[in-house]
Amino acid sequence: MDCPFCKNPMIIIELDEVETDYCADCGGIWLDAGELELLFADTQQTNQLIASFRQADTDEKIHLCPICLKKMQKVLAADEKQSVIIDRCPKGHGLWFERSELAQVLAMGNFDKEKKIVKLLSGMFGKNETEGENGN
Amino acid sequence: MWEQIRANKRNSILLLALMATVLALLGWFIGRAFSPDPAAGLFGIVIALFVWMILAMVSFAGGDAIFLAASKATPVTKDVHPQLFNVVEEMAIAAQLPMPKIYIINDPAPNAFATGRNPQKASVAITAGLLGRLNRDELQGVIAHEMSHILHRDILFVTVAGVMLGAIVLISEIFLRGMFFSSMSRRYSSRSRSSGGGQAQAIMLVVAIIAAILAPIMATLLYFALSRKREYLADAGAARLTRYPEGLASALEKLSQNTTPLSVANKVTAPMYIVNPLQKKGMKLSDLTSTHPPISERVRVLRGMAGASFADYSEAFRKTTKHSTPIPSSALKDEAVQIRSAGSQKSADSKKQIRDIGDIMQKTAGFHFVNCSCGLKMKVPPNYKAHQVKCPRCGKISAV
Repeated sequence: MDCPFCKNPMIIIELDEVETDYCADCGGIWLDAGELELLFADTQQTNQLIASFRQADTDEKIHLCPICLKKMQKVLAADEKQSVIIDRCPKGHGLWFERSELAQVLAMGNFDKEKKIVKLLSGMFGKNETEGENGN
Repeated sequence: MWEQIRANKRNSILLLALMATVLALLGWFIGRAFSPDPAAGLFGIVIALFVWMILAMVSFAGGDAIFLAASKATPVTKDVHPQLFNVVEEMAIAAQLPMPKIYIINDPAPNAFATGRNPQKASVAITAGLLGRLNRDELQGVIAHEMSHILHRDILFVTVAGVMLGAIVLISEIFLRGMFFSSMSRRYSSRSRSSGGGQAQAIMLVVAIIAAILAPIMATLLYFALSRKREYLADAGAARLTRYPEGLASALEKLSQNTTPLSVANKVTAPMYIVNPLQKKGMKLSDLTSTHPPISERVRVLRGMAGASFADYSEAFRKTTKHSTPIPSSALKDEAVQIRSAGSQKSADSKKQIRDIGDIMQKTAGFHFVNCSCGLKMKVPPNYKAHQVKCPRCGKISAV
């Protein structure tokens, strides 16, 4: 699968039997709907989570879903304190985070109810990414 | 069994004749729309049948190959997935058919289909999503369902009918779009010829447009009508082959829980799958336009079976749906078949099973696996350019 941002092939990384696609060049992450399903062990919960984000009003560059090549929507993931704009496939194939967005999601803590996504991502990228971003 | 295949063939021929009539009528109306001469109508029919023949020849020569390629299916050998291979082998022997080719489609949506023009050249394909979710009994049920499609010669019917439907849709589309763009020039030419035929010609044109709109709808309904009945028949066949209706019933239940649309399916190929690959959640299709009977009903019929023969299925069907049986009467005289007990494998660790299938798919696609010492697994695609990867977790650099 090619990175929606820089179009280079992404590598797949696996931790605790859940995979994410990771672009070694730009540091972006693709969370596939099927993998989220494995993570939550529930289809409905996954669909609900993907559908729960509100469409954001932004002029960030539009990216294409790496699976269906449809234009991804800019959506807003937010809690009381902060918010982050991520990309979502309109057909529900998955979510795309850019490198800087990952740190924001990790800092947010309650991105998803049981914090499973945050736990997975911090397990996969936590040490490196947050160290790099904390300096800002 | 042979009597049943023959009955199936008769139905198919009747349906195909009806579809051919729709195709010919469409050609005739379009021909007449261009000229009031009856010969133009005949010429239209010839053109329509010619389009169909070219499409049919292509599909006969390589229809299954085209379909498999369109679904992005990869062939499977015994060492890639021994369990799948064994189950298919078992069901081929039970159905007294030659071993079909086996394919896996790398798609997370669970589904399966069979294709090919005859049992000697048949293929069975199953998605990675389905393979990852089923235990052995359920997998056997699904494979037996597909094997029944091959045994009942459904695969040929779906290919030929699909091609005819394709031809009708193609001709209507070309005509309607052509109408839209060339309306100016035609108005000019009809005025320059005879003024008397002008009005009749205009009526003919309207009729042709209506025919071009209606023909694809009619053909689709005809196509769907028979594909629904075939699903019940294949379910009955699967129960008989496996002697274990519960296997297919529970597999169908698992299939129905998923709502991911299959990305490689489209309207014409939809009836080939074990469950409708396009149906979305919360969207209730009317009975007339759905290619497949409701899954809940299929499961209830399977669970209501007292034995595993066609007669048992027919009985369960009557009780559950209150409709007349889809099973041809000749099959009801079959000898009684006892239901066997469940296999030893209960439900496997599904997460691990899905991951294993994913790994198989990636390995056959040429991925390179790197295990970092920190515990992170990296799977590097064959088209990855750099010769080393940096572990995003611990920062260690590994060679690819």
